[in-house]
Parts: sequence; C-alpha cells; structure tokens
Amino acid sequence: MKLPRGRLQRRRVVSDVATPLANALDAALTGYARLESQDALLLSAEGVGVLTFEEGIPVVAYHTGTDAGGPAALADIAVSGPYRIELFELDAETLADVHAAEELTVPPGMPARRLAGDPALADRTRERAPAAASAREADAATTDAPGAVEAFLADEAKIEAIQQRAREEAERRAVEWDLD
Amino acid sequence: MIGQQSRPMVEVLAVASGKGGTGKTTSTLALGMALSEEYDVTVVDADTGMANLLFHAGLADVETTLHDVLAADAPVEAAIYDRFGMGVVPCGTSLAGFRDADPTRLRDVVADLAADTDVLLLDSAAALGSRAAVLPIVLADRVVVVLQPTIPSLSDGLKVQEYAKTYDSAVAGILFNRVRDDEAIEDIADKAARYFEGPTLATVPESDAARAARRAGEPLLAHAPNAPAADAFREAAAAIDVAAGESGPVADRFRSAVIPDQP
Repeated sequence: MKLPRGRLQRRRVVSDVATPLANALDAALTGYARLESQDALLLSAEGVGVLTFEEGIPVVAYHTGTDAGGPAALADIAVSGPYRIELFELDAETLADVHAAEELTVPPGMPARRLAGDPALADRTRERAPAAASAREADAATTDAPGAVEAFLADEAKIEAIQQRAREEAERRAVEWDLD
Repeated sequence: MIGQQSRPMVEVLAVASGKGGTGKTTSTLALGMALSEEYDVTVVDADTGMANLLFHAGLADVETTLHDVLAADAPVEAAIYDRFGMGVVPCGTSLAGFRDADPTRLRDVVADLAADTDVLLLDSAAALGSRAAVLPIVLADRVVVVLQPTIPSLSDGLKVQEYAKTYDSAVAGILFNRVRDDEAIEDIADKAARYFEGPTLATVPESDAARAARRAGEPLLAHAPNAPAADAFREAAAAIDVAAGESGPVADRFRSAVIPDQP
C-alpha cells in the first residue's frame, strides 16, 4: 500500500491511542495516521501501522512490517504503547484508490476497540459513520475469525516480551521511587 | 470471627487495570457491596489524580475527602462515609487538592483503615506512570485485575500483574468487565487464564444499568441489584476467597513499608 505524504496536522507520543483517534474523529480528518510503537522489544517486525480516515471515520488499516491489511493489521499495530503518532491530512481523491481495496478496510469502530480498548469511542465513531462504512461493521461480525485478541494471546513470545519489559520497568522504578 | 476480637482479619485488595475505561470504579464498588454482605468493607478511591469514585457513590458534594487527609488537613475518620453498607473514602477532583496531597501518606491511611475493617478495597489509578499510581498495588495484599477482552487491556493487565509480583503482591484473580455478546469471551478467557495468576473471577456483561447507576450516583448493586452485571459481580466477589490475617501485624506492615517522602 502506497500513500503520498500528506500535510502533517499533529505529531505526538501517546500511551493511549484513544486520544489521536478521538482527535481525528472530532476534526473529521480526511487523511491518515502513522502509528509507530516506541517499544522496540514488542515489534513483531520492523514497520509502522497506517490507518486512513474519511471525515474522521477509520477506513483502511495496514502494517508496513507484516504487510497485513484490515483487521489483521490492527492486531499487528496493537502492541503496547507508547506510540509515536502522526496525523496527516490528505484529500479524498488521493485516498480513493487505497480505499477501494476492500481487503484492507476495517469496520469504523474496530480501531477504537482494538487499538485503544475504548468501547465508548467505538460507539461514537460508529454513530457518525456513513451507511457504507457501517456495512463493514456488519460484515466484520462474521468474517473476523480467528479474532485478533485470540491471535494476540496465542503469541507467547509477544506476551513474554510484555511481561519481561514490565518486570524490568517495575524493578527499575522500585529503585527510582524507593518502593519497598 | 475469632474469639473476642471484633476485627480478626483484614485483607487489602487493589482493584487495578493499568488502563482507563475498563470500569474499575464500578467494579470496586460492586465488589465492595457484594463483600459487605459478609464482611466489614471499606472502599478507598486511591486514584488521587483522576478520582471518580465520589460520583459513583453520591459523594460529589462532601466536604472532606482523601485529598484533605493526604494533605494532613483532616484525620482519615473525617473522610469515611457510611454508604450502601460500606465505609467509603472518596477522593476530591480539584487540581489544588491533588497538588497539596502527599501520596506517600496513603501508606498511613491504609494502615489506619486496616486496623478497623475486614476488607479494604483500593480503587487504583488507570496508569502505572507514577509512584502515586503504583502505590495501591504495592500496599495491597492482592490485586484484582480488571480486564476487557481487547489487546490493549490484556496487555496492560499483564503489566499490572508483573508490577504486583515485583512488589510482592499476589493476584486475587482477573475480572472481565464490559464484555459484549459479539466477543468470543470464553475462548479469550481460556487463553488469558494461561498467563494470569489467580482465577477468572467472573465475566461481567457490558451493561446499560452500570451507566445508569453512574448517572444516578449509586453503585450498580444498589441501583440495579437484579441486573445480570450485578449478578456477575456477586459471583466474582464470592470467588475472591478473602484471606484471614491478624489486623495488628497487618497494620504494622503498612506502617513499616519504607516509602520516603517525596523529594
């Protein structure tokens, strides 16, 4: 999947993806987000996540490292934060080609739920989504198997990496904060 | 109950998730109410930076909160409110209150409360980014990890567990909250159980009743005791299997925990 570079709207490091998703929704952004995990240990492969939007509603998800698209890409993007996130504005005509690739599309509410674990934001996104986008939501209920969550839990190496990193962080902070 | 002692046991449980939006406060109050059927329960809003328990418990207008206690402006007794069959210690929401509060005093608050209750529930912060946020997990005997069946939530729950283990707190169990019908919860809970210590206490369905309860300023078990979500929380509370301990030594343990003052 190739996208021309858009006009940068925001760049920040966040621990919770809900914030940029909500920003994109509230600003009715047409463009894309580039999501880069800051956690090198957890990267299943080199690469970044790309999520496109049409008037704030997520359309396409893609992971440049694993070459996964659609819901599967969300699973690759959904590692542990923090993320460096950049939001780019890009006109709808330029995005049209990418958005035509059905195998890359995701249901409107799925990124909020999968990446941010935020059902309220997922609901809000779904409510604002046009009918065509909502149809993807209906499809996903039947085609999204095996689920991304199950796939995540089956990835023992990834889980071990999360645990290992958390242990190191907790130990480091015990010293830093003089916790007993 | 053992012999003549009026408070023969105390167990401190932190309710934590490492992530916002999992319904931690709803869970804390629901578990507290369910446990209060059998035990003397005190619930503390230990999320001193983003307090919200006061809104869930109809205490938004009270004068004295944990902030005042942590600022040494009030004794802890002044911040305990008898509500819904429990002692409830709310925390204020003002920035000034947060600024003046010394989170390290939480250790003394927990020690004081531990001397006079059976079960102490600490509603913890939705993050692990500061000493104040981690402290409830450090002070707890065991941690209840509240999860949603999503990757971010599971990932953060795993982190909470590692923090708990590093600080010698056990895991009382995991609680799946806000679960929707379309989620393959049984499969997810099965797979998650391999990584978490402690049992899966319950699977609580996403519930309009929980939202309505929050709006009404009442715990779910008071507002909609017959809701399926309320049943699930009672099931979770029954599965927690509260451990007995001597209140004296436990209180001493909190006091002797070495947590120096903030620099």
